[in-house]
Amino acid sequence: MYGGGQIFDQSMNTGLENEDPVKLQEFEARITRGEKIEPSDWMPALYRKQLIRMIEQHAHSEIIGALPEGTWITRAPGFKRKMALMAKVQDEVGHAQLLYSAAETLGKNREDMLNDLINGKSKYSNIFNYPAFTWADSCFISWLVDAGAIVNQLANAKGSYGPYVRALDRICKEESFHLKYGHDCVVALATGSEKQRTMMQEAINRWWAPMMMFFGPSDKISVHTEILMKWKVKMASNDDCRQQWLDMYVPKIWELGFTIPDKNLKKNEETGKWEFTEPDWVEFKKVINGDGPCNKERLAVRRTAEERGRWVREALKSPNISYQTPFA
Amino acid sequence: MSLESLDPRVNRLNIPDQFEDEVQKKELDQLTTFEVFLVPKEGKALESVGIVHADDSEMAFVFAKEAFSRRFTCVGMAVCPTHKIWASEVTEGEESAFDFIESLDEQNEGEEDQCEIFLMDKRGKQHKHATSVLAYSYIDAAKKAKEELGNPLTKNIWVIRTRDFTFNEEEDSDLWATLPEKTYRDAQAYRAADKIKKFKESQTK
Repeated sequence: MYGGGQIFDQSMNTGLENEDPVKLQEFEARITRGEKIEPSDWMPALYRKQLIRMIEQHAHSEIIGALPEGTWITRAPGFKRKMALMAKVQDEVGHAQLLYSAAETLGKNREDMLNDLINGKSKYSNIFNYPAFTWADSCFISWLVDAGAIVNQLANAKGSYGPYVRALDRICKEESFHLKYGHDCVVALATGSEKQRTMMQEAINRWWAPMMMFFGPSDKISVHTEILMKWKVKMASNDDCRQQWLDMYVPKIWELGFTIPDKNLKKNEETGKWEFTEPDWVEFKKVINGDGPCNKERLAVRRTAEERGRWVREALKSPNISYQTPFA
Repeated sequence: MSLESLDPRVNRLNIPDQFEDEVQKKELDQLTTFEVFLVPKEGKALESVGIVHADDSEMAFVFAKEAFSRRFTCVGMAVCPTHKIWASEVTEGEESAFDFIESLDEQNEGEEDQCEIFLMDKRGKQHKHATSVLAYSYIDAAKKAKEELGNPLTKNIWVIRTRDFTFNEEEDSDLWATLPEKTYRDAQAYRAADKIKKFKESQTK
C-alpha cells in the first residue's frame, strides 16, 4: 500500500540554474526516449532529492501501514483470516524492504531514513494516522486503501527511475492478493448478519474522509509539479488518481448495499467525472504535521521496536564489515 | 505514564508516553548489503532480484529467501556481498557496455578464477546470468565474455567471482516446496463473485 499525494513546498527551488546544461539536456532526452535512469547515471540534484523523498515516504507508509492492520491479526475471525492477514502484513513490511533498498541506491543510507521516520522528519501516508477500531476497519484498509495504493503504484511503475520501477513491479504482483483478500473480507461482512453489515457500514463512514484525502490535495490547490511529471517522477496527478479510484470502487461499494457518507457524491454523466464534497484540507495538513489521532502512537511503536531490537543488531554485527551503495 | 492504545499488544509493551531525545542510529546499524539472485524456473538463467541487508552470506540467504521467494516460488537462489561485484559503465541506445571495456587495463597475474557474467540488456531490467569464464581479473573476465558471447549489445556488465557466491545446497531445493499449499495468500483463492450474486438476488426478492 502507498500514500500518494506528494506535497511539495510552495516555493520549490528547482536549483536547475546550477546544473550543467549539457548533462541536463542528455538526461531529459533519455527520459523522453523512454529509457530508464540507473543509479550511476548523472542526474539533477532535484531529481535525486525528490525521488529519495518519494520512495522513502512510500517505504515508511508500508511499515507504518502494517501497524493498524497488524492490530487485528490476533483478533481476526478464524484461523484462515489470521493466516491471510499475517501474510498480507508480512508483504507490506517486505515492500518496505524493497523500497528502502531502491531509495538507498540514490545515496541515502537506511539508518538515516529510519532516523528521519522515527524523529518525525519525513512523512508517510496520512491515512495510517487514523485508528482501526473494529475488524471492519481492517477490512476497509485491506480492500479500499490497498486499491488506492494500487492506483498510485501502477502509475508510478511507469516512472523513469530503474530501481524504483523494478521494486514496484514486484510489489504490484503481490498486491493482487491483497485486493482480492480485502474484497472477500468486506463481502463476507456485507452478506452476513445485520450486526456485521452495520459494523462494515460504520467503518466506511469512519474511513471515507481519510480515503478521499489519501490521494493528496486537489490539483487546483497543489503546487505545480510539471517538472516532476516531465522527469517521470510523478506519473499521475492527485485528482486523476482519485477519480480513477472512485470510478473503480464506488460501484463496488454500492453493489453491496452500503451507503457512502457524502450526499454530494455522484458521477457527472456529461463530464464523466465524479463530484464530491471537497475534503477538509485543513484537517489533512494538521494530521500530516503530526497532530492526528495516532501519529504519536505510530512513531512511538516504531521507536520502541528500534530501541528494543538494537542489541540484536549489535550482536549480529561482525567487527570488520563495510558498506557499499547498491548498484541497482 | 505509558502510552495508551486501542491495540492490546501495544499496551503490553509499556511504551513511555513521551520521548525526550531523538533517535540516532549508529553507523552500520542496518549492517551491509548483499545482492540476491534467483532461478525462477528450471532451465532459466540466474537473475538479479534486489538486495538484502545482512552481516554475512548465511544471514543474507535467510533474509533473501523470505524477501524474494516468499510469494513466488523459484528453484534456486544465491547471494553475494555487494562490494564483491564489479560493475561496468551503464550505456544507452546502440552503445554497448562491452565497447567501454577495451580501454581498461587488466592485470593478468597469478591464478585464474572462475567468474560469473551478468548482463542487463535493457535499462530498467534485471541483470541476468550470461556465461561463466576463467579469468585473471574482473576486466579480463569481461573481455573474455565479450569474445565468447559474440559482443552482444548490453547496457551493463557485472562480473562476480564464483567463490563469492553462496548458493543453496542441492538438497535444500525443497525449501520452496511448501509454497503451493499456502493458498490463503493467493489472489485466486478468493472468489467473492458468487456471494455477491446471491446477495443481489436476495435483495431483489
